[in-house]
Formats: sequence, structure tokens, C-alpha cells
Amino acid sequence: MTTSVPVDVRDRESEDTGDTGPRDVGETLLEVDDLAVEFRGDDGVVRAVDGLGYRVVAGRTLALVGESGCGKSVSSLAVMGLLPPAARVTRGSARFRGTDLLALPPARHREHCGRHVAMVFQDALAALNPVHTVGYQLTEALRARTGASRRDARRRAVELLDLVKVPHAAQRVHEYPHQFSGGMRQRVMIASALALDPDVLIADEPTTALDVTVQAQVMQLLAEIQAERNMGLVLITHDLGVVAGVADDVTVMYAGRAVEQAPVRELYEAPAHPYTRALLRSVPRLAGGGTDADGRLPVVPGRPPAPGRVPSGCAFHPRCDLARDVCRTDVPPLAEAAPGRSSACHFSAEVLGGARG
Amino acid sequence: MAELTRPSPDAGTPGDVVLEVRDLAKSYPVRRGVVLKRTVGQVQAVDGVNLTLRRGRTLGLVGESGSGKSTLARVLVGIERPTRGAVLVDGQDVSTMSRAERKHLRRSVQMVFQDPYTSLNPRMSVAEIVGEPFRIHPDAVPAGGRRRAVAELLELVGLDPDHANRYPHQFSGGQRQRIGVARALAVKPRVLVCDEPVSALDVSVQGQVINLLEDLQDELGLSYLFIAHDLAVVRHIADEVAVMYLGRVVEQGVGPTVYEAASHPYTRALLSAVPVPDPGAAAASRPLLLEGDPPSPADPPSGCRFHTRCWLAHQIGAARANCADGDAGSVPERCRTQDPALLPPDAPSAPARPDEETGPAPEHVAACHFADLVPGGAPDTSSRTSTSTSTSMGADS
Repeated sequence: MTTSVPVDVRDRESEDTGDTGPRDVGETLLEVDDLAVEFRGDDGVVRAVDGLGYRVVAGRTLALVGESGCGKSVSSLAVMGLLPPAARVTRGSARFRGTDLLALPPARHREHCGRHVAMVFQDALAALNPVHTVGYQLTEALRARTGASRRDARRRAVELLDLVKVPHAAQRVHEYPHQFSGGMRQRVMIASALALDPDVLIADEPTTALDVTVQAQVMQLLAEIQAERNMGLVLITHDLGVVAGVADDVTVMYAGRAVEQAPVRELYEAPAHPYTRALLRSVPRLAGGGTDADGRLPVVPGRPPAPGRVPSGCAFHPRCDLARDVCRTDVPPLAEAAPGRSSACHFSAEVLGGARG
Repeated sequence: MAELTRPSPDAGTPGDVVLEVRDLAKSYPVRRGVVLKRTVGQVQAVDGVNLTLRRGRTLGLVGESGSGKSTLARVLVGIERPTRGAVLVDGQDVSTMSRAERKHLRRSVQMVFQDPYTSLNPRMSVAEIVGEPFRIHPDAVPAGGRRRAVAELLELVGLDPDHANRYPHQFSGGQRQRIGVARALAVKPRVLVCDEPVSALDVSVQGQVINLLEDLQDELGLSYLFIAHDLAVVRHIADEVAVMYLGRVVEQGVGPTVYEAASHPYTRALLSAVPVPDPGAAAASRPLLLEGDPPSPADPPSGCRFHTRCWLAHQIGAARANCADGDAGSVPERCRTQDPALLPPDAPSAPARPDEETGPAPEHVAACHFADLVPGGAPDTSSRTSTSTSTSMGADS
């Protein structure tokens, strides 16, 4: 499919820095380091993301997991340069093949992301413009970036819809978003994100509003496209079931920080942070079981802190069953808990040992 | 507290049928034209559904969006009137009642809505929200005791009664859903219709609300109709499960039977599409992907409504085509032309449940011509229980 791209978008990038070219397996495409984002509001400054770092590798899927308000979406908006006016990046970098996107002027930042980093938003109906045809929206970016003709753009739109398996693509490019079902709209969103053959695709809760059957279709589609194009995929989600099926690496976030980072199998087998452990336990199991002795669902007591009201010390301590005095005062750093994985807990060795033992 | 924990005087004994739905149908006209509207068709949102809800039990209702589960809920609580069929509360047909009687009975069936962010009026305090049902049903609690009743309700759902004068925006999603539950409980109903009560909540908070609902059920003897698309949550909370597809119930039975020996191809596909929080099992199992979206309820397929997306029908069709017996279509003719009835599947694997009431309804029914051909046991779901990760990964991605 990629070979039939009528306009090779890479041609126009020759003046750009050396960040083009084919993607090698295992190549680090995007590296976010020590990212901090603050919101200014009526109640003063609120830190939504605090010292987040992760690495997106070609051909691999990174899941950013967390509950609402943990900063998972805000951090990706920062990478994309799409933060609302009240927010700003106060620290850190997001290097795409060595170029720090956050250090670029806004226009260059958007241009760079337009070519290399694309995003799929959660609510496809809100993200699509109701007064333009799907075909027009699919290729808006393509026309703006490459100056492709209308005819080429239309042909490309049909190809893109075919790629995401929308039936009768040639007719459907002329239809409007309301004529598509929820699952089909999300496919359109994915297609438009793929229009410029991005190196990194950030999918923010791409299946949350969909039925399980349609969710399975969309996730399989994303996985296929990612493997075929050797793309780096960032999957932002709260659903640990979805993560288990598609992710290679997982970053668990809580109150703006990464609390655990590990390859997916290790994480599910033996979580090294009490929050990860609690999250995994609280997922209802289809096979039954997973309940405590009274047949009740295990729960994490309390609720995630609102940004701006993050507890002192370890942000998770009020909800943690392991919390001791040190947790109330000292912020635990994200440190290696075992080879290839890290956890931000004063007692990660204990958590890890308990899970394994 | 004592007053609230005692359900309505005519509560009856556990196992009594509190709510029954007989051949219920609800259709909406499809209209064309701006000035001269004419009806060009009917959307059959719910089409011939039979359900029985017993006291103290939970009936789970699952299905994709557009399957009619929310319409059914709206008919049950009286927001919509059925086009056909009957809703019986305590054996009395609601549609044949006088207005006053209906209003009284309606107290028995209350609803918890899906979205705790839009189902609470932002300009009303919590006390006003929870106390509002008393304005409609003044006989529920004597006028002097309402303030106390509100405080008791808040305490019952685990909220601080001192927060009664706060507004919805001051609460988190889970707390707001508790307010919604308190409001539904205000007029002492016997049945709660819960329409996706936890799907808008964070994972770590979902469990809290589910546990609250279970506690309230034990304490107050409530019956729940629990509508959800999350089959794992339904598995946990429901005693019985009904699966809906395009306005019809296609499979129904006690929880373990439906989950472990699903006999309808649609139920199988639904179950296999649920993501499993276990990377090993997820890699080992391949979901039965349904193609496309459900067809429009305005123009449901002939015969079995599921035949257009049915993997089993296609398998059978393909097998027959290989035998070259001249069946041109890829789907067996019976599926295309005959509407299957809800019958007990011929699966001997269905475990006997001696503790069940010997009611007239069988314990497990499915509407499929080929229910006996649905592979026995449930290889998918049972392999998913294992937490073993020894399964070889093969070449991942």
C-alpha cells in the first residue's frame, strides 16, 4: 500500500535535518525525557505532568496507562504541540530522531509533527468536522503539506479508507461523518492520521467509546498497520485488558508521574508498584474469580487525586496498603526494580518479591 | 436508617417475580419530509422480548449499541410506552392501570443512569437532587422527615451527609454515581434499572460502585436489571444474563451457563472480543472477529437477524459448498429465511442447577438453528482463566 503513495511526502523534506529515511526495527524514534506540564488557572498553578519520560521504538507498541487526570493525555498533547493556551511545558524534552520538538518554534513544531508524529483522538465524532466530507478531511493535511492536486488527494483518500478496511471506499469518501457508525468513524480518524505515513502514531483511548466487538476490530487493525509499516505506536488507555493484547512495553502513570515502566509480560506477571498491582486486581475477569473471599471485587480505596491536590511524598500513599512514614514525606524516584524495568516505590523490591513469591 | 433498610411493606419473599416483561416491543416511526412528514418505516428498537426478574436477584442485559437494551430500560421505568406487549410489576399489568395506580407502581422501578456527569442537574444541590423524587411521590416519606431521609440516603451510599449542600461539580465521578444511586433509592423501589452504571468511571472506582450496589441489594432486597456492554462486570454481578441483538434476546440463562457454555454464535463472538488482562492468554487466543457493525434496526435482516455477521453460518455454508450440494449461498438457507426460536440448546455440557426454581422457563435458551453445532465447552473462555504464560509466543507482530 505504501508503494502506491501518489505523492512521496519525503521528497519535500530534503532540506530538513537528517531525521528522515526508513524506520529500522528497534530504532528509537521518539524519546520523551523529564517532561513537566503546568496549567495556570484560578486556583494557581497546577502541575499535570511531572518528570515523565518514555521511549517509542519503531515496530513496538508503548501503552501509557492510567486513570483520568493522571496526565497521560496532556503529556501527548505536549509532544504534539497541541496544549491549550492555559498550559505550558515547563521542563523536559521530546526528541524525535534527535530533534527536540519542544525547543522548536510553534509553527516548526506543528510542521514536524505533521510529518512524523500523528495522533488519533478518542472521540471521533468530535474530532471530525461535520460540514466537510470524509474524503476532504482525510487529505487536508496531505494537501497542505505536499500541495497534492485534488485528484491525487481524492485517489489517496480512497486508498486510505481501503487501508483501514472501510467497505465501498470509493463511494464513502464523498459522505459526511454523521453517515458513518462509531467504529467506522474511528477508522476514518486512523486513516487521516496515516495520510502522511507517520513514524509515530499516538492513539488516545482509540476504542473507549466503542462496543467490545468493534473495539476488537479496531485494535487488530491498529496492530496490523503498525506491524506492516514498522511504526512506533503509543497507546493511551485505562483498559488493562486492551494493553495486555497489544502492547510491548507499558508505562503506568499516576498523578502526573510514571510510577512503573516494564515490558508487558513482566508487568502483568509481577507488578513492581502497589498501584499497578491494585489496578490489575481491580479489573473484573470474564472467567469469573478475581474476587476476594466475600465475593467482592477488590478495590483501590479512595480515588485518584485531582491535579493540584497531589498528596505529599508518594502521591499514591493515601490509597496504598504498604504506606509507611517515609511514603508520606519522600517522593520515591523512578528507579530500576529489576533488569529492564523500573518502579517509583520505596518498597518496590518488596512488591516485586511478594508478587513472585 | 431503620426506615430505609426496610423495603416496601409488600416486598414478598426472595425468589418472587417482581418484574416481568412479556413479548415487549417498542418501535419508532421513521419520518421523511420537513413540512409534510410521512412515515416511511419503523425502527424496531425492541421486538418481542420476554424477561423475568426475581426478588433479590440481578439480571444482566448485554449487547452492542443499537441492540435495544437502553430502549428496554426506558420502557421499564415508564419513560417510553411500549408498542406491544406488557410490563408486569408484581404480576399486575402496568398498561391496564389507571394513572394513579401506575404512578404508585412506578415508584417500585427506578433507574440509575449511565453518565453521572450529565444525569445530575448542575444547578441543584445534592440534597435537592436526592430529595426531588419526594416531590413526585409525596407519600414515600412524610413531609417532615425528608431532610433526615436525604441524610440517611447519603449515608447509605457512602457519602458524607454534611455534604448535602454541595453541588455535583464538587464530587468525583464515582461519588456522583453514588448520588445517582441515592436518588434512585429515595422512593424505596424494589427494582433498580441500572443502565451502564459504571462504564463512565475509572477502573479503580468501578469496583467501589459495584460493591456498593451488591451491598445495597443484600441490605434492601433489591432486584437489579443491570445493563452493560462490559461482559466481565456483568459476569461478576449478575445471576442471570440475557444477550440482546437487534432488539431480540438471542441467548439467556443463568450466569455460569451462558459464560461457560455459550450456545449462540453471537454470544461467543461477544465473549471472545472482551480483552483479557493477561498477555499470555491474549497472545494465545484469537478473537472471533465479527465483521462490520450491526445492521440497521430499521431494516433488520430476514430470518435470523444475526446471519449477516454470523461466523458459524459462514462456516457451515462454506463446508456445504465444499460438499458441492448445490447450495449457492454462503449462509445456510434456514438462517436466511427462518427466524430461530429461543430454545434450550442440545448441549449436554450445560450443568444442572438443582438450586434453581423449577419455573416454567428453561435455565438456558438460545435462538440459533445450529446451536448444537457451536463448539462445546468454551475453549476461549476457559483458556483465558489460566494465568500461565508458558504458552509459546510465536512470532509476535
